[in-house]
Amino acid sequence: MSVFTLPDLGEGLQEAEIVTWHVNPGDQVVMDQPLVSVETDKAIVDIPSPQAGRIARLYGEVGEVIKLGAPLVEFDESARAPDAGTVVGEVAVGKEVVKEPPASVTASAAGVKATPAVRALAHRLDVDLSIVTPSGPDGLITVADVQRVAKILSEVEPLEPLRGVRRAMAGHMALAHAEVVPVTIMDDADVQGWPAGTDITVRLIRALIVACAAEPALNAWYDAQAVGRRVRKTIDLGIAVDTPDGLFVPVLRDAANRPDAQLRSEVDRLRAGVKARSLSPGELRGNTITLSNFGMIAGKYGSPVVLPPTVAILGAGRKVRTPVAAGDGVEVHELIPLSLTFDHRAVTGGEAGRFLAAVIADLQRANR
Amino acid sequence: MTTVASFQVRYTQFLDQRGEPTQPLPLLAADPSRLIPLYRAMVLARTFDAKAIALQRTGKLGTYPSFLGQEALAAGVGNAMRPEDVLLPSYRESALMMMRGVTLAELLTYWSGDERGSDFSAARSDFPVCITVAAQCCHAVGAAYAFKLRNEPRVAVCVLGDGATSKGDFYEALNAAGVWALPLVFVINNNQWAISVPLALQTAARTLAQKAIAAGIDGEQVDGNDVIAVQHVMQQALDKARTHGGPTLIEAVTYRLSDHTTADDASRYRDPKELSEHWAREPVLRLRNYLTHVGAWSKMDEEALLKECPERVAAAVEAWQAIPPPRPEAMFEHLYASLPASLAPQRSEALQSGARNG
Amino acid sequence: MAEITLVEAVNRALAYEMQRDPAVVVLGEDVGMNGGVFRATVGLQERFGKARVLDTPLAESLIAGMAVGMAVQGLRPVAEIQFSGFIYATLDHIVNHASRMRTRTRGRLSCPMVLRSPSGGGIRAPEHHSESNEAMFATVPGLRVVVPSSPARAYGLLLTAIRDPDPVIFLEPTRLYRLVKQEVADTDDALPLDVCFTLREGKDVTLVSWGAALHETLAAAEALSNAGIEAEVIDVATLKPLDMETILESVGKTGRCVIVHEAARTSGFGAEIAANLAERGLLSLLAPVARLTGYDTVMPLARLEQQYLPGTIRILAAVHKIMEYA
Repeated sequence: MSVFTLPDLGEGLQEAEIVTWHVNPGDQVVMDQPLVSVETDKAIVDIPSPQAGRIARLYGEVGEVIKLGAPLVEFDESARAPDAGTVVGEVAVGKEVVKEPPASVTASAAGVKATPAVRALAHRLDVDLSIVTPSGPDGLITVADVQRVAKILSEVEPLEPLRGVRRAMAGHMALAHAEVVPVTIMDDADVQGWPAGTDITVRLIRALIVACAAEPALNAWYDAQAVGRRVRKTIDLGIAVDTPDGLFVPVLRDAANRPDAQLRSEVDRLRAGVKARSLSPGELRGNTITLSNFGMIAGKYGSPVVLPPTVAILGAGRKVRTPVAAGDGVEVHELIPLSLTFDHRAVTGGEAGRFLAAVIADLQRANR
Repeated sequence: MTTVASFQVRYTQFLDQRGEPTQPLPLLAADPSRLIPLYRAMVLARTFDAKAIALQRTGKLGTYPSFLGQEALAAGVGNAMRPEDVLLPSYRESALMMMRGVTLAELLTYWSGDERGSDFSAARSDFPVCITVAAQCCHAVGAAYAFKLRNEPRVAVCVLGDGATSKGDFYEALNAAGVWALPLVFVINNNQWAISVPLALQTAARTLAQKAIAAGIDGEQVDGNDVIAVQHVMQQALDKARTHGGPTLIEAVTYRLSDHTTADDASRYRDPKELSEHWAREPVLRLRNYLTHVGAWSKMDEEALLKECPERVAAAVEAWQAIPPPRPEAMFEHLYASLPASLAPQRSEALQSGARNG
Repeated sequence: MAEITLVEAVNRALAYEMQRDPAVVVLGEDVGMNGGVFRATVGLQERFGKARVLDTPLAESLIAGMAVGMAVQGLRPVAEIQFSGFIYATLDHIVNHASRMRTRTRGRLSCPMVLRSPSGGGIRAPEHHSESNEAMFATVPGLRVVVPSSPARAYGLLLTAIRDPDPVIFLEPTRLYRLVKQEVADTDDALPLDVCFTLREGKDVTLVSWGAALHETLAAAEALSNAGIEAEVIDVATLKPLDMETILESVGKTGRCVIVHEAARTSGFGAEIAANLAERGLLSLLAPVARLTGYDTVMPLARLEQQYLPGTIRILAAVHKIMEYA
C-alpha cells in the first residue's frame, strides 16, 4: 500500500477543499490521470495521479478541506484486480466439482407394445395390457385385442378384492415365493404300532421336538440381507389352522418344555382362539418352525410353503391304511405321509434328511 | 505514365492539447460563451460515465461501455445535429445520446438490462444502441434513403468505432451511400482500440478517413478531442448532406481512456505509459483551459458545475431506481404489433411461472 | 489430473491439438494477446506464435470465410466467433461454402474447419450475446453441430471436432464456462461425435437435453429421485448427426420423454427429436413427448432473463404432468 498525499500546489497554499472525485476505490488508474478536483483561492485544480495502480481508498469527502501533505489517495500495490475472464456480463465461477460415472449404453427392456391411443382405450375400458394377448404385427396390441379382453372381463364375475387375512396370505406367499429356495422331501411314518386313541397332533409335535434336537439347523431364522442365520434354542412351533376367513398360524411357545397334556390343551386353546378371533397379534408371530397337519382335511403329500424367516415346515397328510412290504409278504399298515419343505439357502439336504428320519423314527415308536 | 486520380485527406484542429488556438477559430467559437453549454454537457457526461461504472461495480448495473475521453466527439456532433436528424449510434455513444435528449434514467434502464431504456421519450426517431458492430451503417443507408425519397431536409448520422471499419457492412454502406449520394454522415469514433486490438493490427490504412476514397465520397480527419473542430467539420458535413451534396466520412481521432467495458481490464494488453500520454490530450481539460484563458469560465463557475453535475446524476439514479421492475408478461409485449393467438398459452405459462418464482 | 472448468478444458484441447498437429491454427477477435474475451485461447499465442494464433480485424464474415479458405488449402482452422449474436454474419460462408465444399466438388475438396462460439444466455449480458442458435445450424446438411456440457466432454469432443474431416460448429455454453470443475486428463482422450451420452440411468422418464440446460435437468433428476421418480438423463452432445438410437432405447425403457432446451420452442431442436420419437418410438410411449423450452419470444435482457430460461421448477412441473398419464 502506498499513500499519496496532497502535493504542493504552489503559491504558498497550505490546504485545498475537495470539490469532486474523479475516481472510485477499485479503479485502475495510470500516471497523470486526474484523481480529484480541489479548490484553491485562485482556481479549481485537477490533481493527477503520481503513478499507475489500483485505488484502494480515498481520503476525504466532497467539501472537506485537506492540508498539504495529508493523505489523499491510497494505492493498492499488491495484485491487479482479478481477471473477470469476460468483457460482458458475469460468467459465474462455481465451486461444484462434477464427478460422472462412466457413460453407459442403457439395456433395453421388453415392454408391452401398444400405441398411445390403444393404451388410452385400455385405460378407459379398465383392461390391464399385461393380460392382453397381442395379435398385431411384431407383438403389437391392437384395438381389437383390447376390446376382446374387455368383453371377456365383462362376462366374468366382478373382481373381489382380498382383504384381511386372505390379503395378508397373498402377500406373504408371494414374498416367500420370491425369496425362499424350497425343496420338499417326502416319506411315510409307519404308525401301525400306535395304541388306539393316540393323539396324532401331540405325537407329531413330539417328533418335531426330537428332530430339532437332532438337527437344530431346521429350527432357525434366516436373514437374507445379512446372509446369516439364527439357530433358535427354543422351539416356538407354528401350527397351521384353517378357517373360513383364511389361514392362521398361531404359535405354541417353547414346545420342548411342555408335557404332553399341556401340548394338547395349548393346541386346543390356540385353535379355539383362532376361531373366536381372540388371539393377540403376538400369539400369531415369532414361530421358529411350522407344522401343517393338512391331513386332517385331505391329501397325502404336499409341498408346504416355508414362510421366512423360518427355514422348515413339516406337512402331515391323512393317515392311510396302505399295503407295505413285511418280510417276504405284504401287510396292511397305517401310514402317515410326511412332507418336509426346507429352505435350501439355510439348510442342507443332509440336515433335512436326518431331520425327517428323526421325525419318522420317533413317530414309529409305539409309545412315548 | 499518367495519374488518373489522386486524393488528399484533410485534418482539422483548432485547439491544441493545452487549449491554445492553432489557427483562427471558426464562427461557432467566436463567442466563447457559446462553447459553455458544450463544456457543461461534457462534464455532465463524464460525471454520469463515472457513476455508471460505480453502479456496475456494486452490481446495480450490468456490463457498461465507458466513453471516457470521447466527450468532445459527443458534444460536437450532438450540438451540430438538428432535432429532425436521426442518430444511429454504436454502443459506446451514451454521451452523444444524452446530447440528443435521451435521459440519464433511460440510459441506466437500458444498461441494467431493461428494454424500456430504448423507448426514448425524446429523439423518438433515433435508432437504439447497436451492439452488433457496424450493422448500423447499413441501417443508416436505409434511413438516409427514406429521407431522400421523401425529399426531407434531414440527415442520417451514423457513429461507429475504429474496429467497425473492418467490417463488410461498413464498406457496403459507404459504397451505397456514395453511389446514391445519400444525406448521410458517417462519424468514426477512432479511439484507437477495439477491445484488445490496437489500430495497427486493425488495418494497414494510414487513415480511416481514406476508406471514403474507395467509395467515391468525401473523407476527412478531425482532432476528436477538440470540440470546436468536431462541431465545425460536422456542421459542414451536415449542411452539405442537407443540400443534396452527398455523404461524408469523418474520422474523429480520439482515445479510449477507459477499459473496453466494465468487465474488461485493459492493463492486460495496454501499456500504461501510452494511457498517461493521452490523459494529457484529453478533451475536457483542453476546453476548460481555453475557456478559462479567454475569461469565459471562472473558478466559481467550475465549482458550481462540479456541484451541480453529481446532483443531476444522483437525481437520475433515484428516478431510475423508482421505476417498477419489468413483469414477465413484458417478454410478450411488443413481440408483434399484436400477439398472435398461438402465443397466448405461452404467455399464460410465463405469467404463472413468474408468479411462482416471485 | 487437474480439476478444470469448461473454458479451461477448451483451452487445453486447443493447446493439445496445436501441439500434435502443426496444421491447426486459431483465429478470431482478441484471441491472441488477450487470450480471448472468455480466456479460451489464453497462452496459445505465447506458445505457438502469432502466425498460428491470429488476432483478426473486427470482421466475422471474414473470419468464417478465411477459415473456409484455410481449410480447403489443408490447414485445420479453429475460428472463434466472440459472441453468439455475431455468428449470424458467418451464415453465408458456413451454409453456402463450408457445408457444401465436399459434395459440390465430389470429394475433391473438403473443409475441415471448426467454428466455435459461446452460446446461450444466463450471464446478464448485453443484447445479442445470449443466442441459442443451434437449431439453425442443425438444419444444414453437411455440417456437424456439437454442444458440450461438461469440462471433460468439452475437451474430448473438441479434440474430435478438430480432427473431423468436415466442418463442425462447436457451441460452448457460456453459462457453464466456469460454473463447474471436473477432472480432465490432458491426454489423447478424444470422445466420439455423433453419439449421445447417458449421464444418469433411470426407469421412469427420459430427460433429453444439451448444453447449459443440462445443469438444471440433472438437478431436476435429483429432485425427482427424492419423489420416487427415477429419471434417465441423456446429453445429446452432437445434435447433428443425431444419435436417435440411444434416445429410442431409453424411451423404450421408460415410456416417457421430456426434452429440455433453452432455445425458443418453435422449430427448436427439440421438435426434431419429438418428431423422431413419434415416427419410431410411438409404441413405447405412455405419455405425450413434452418439450420444456424458452418461450417463443426474443431472449429478454438481464432483468427478465431468469423468467425465460427453463429452470428446475419448470422442468419438474413438465415431468409431473406427463407422469399423470399412465
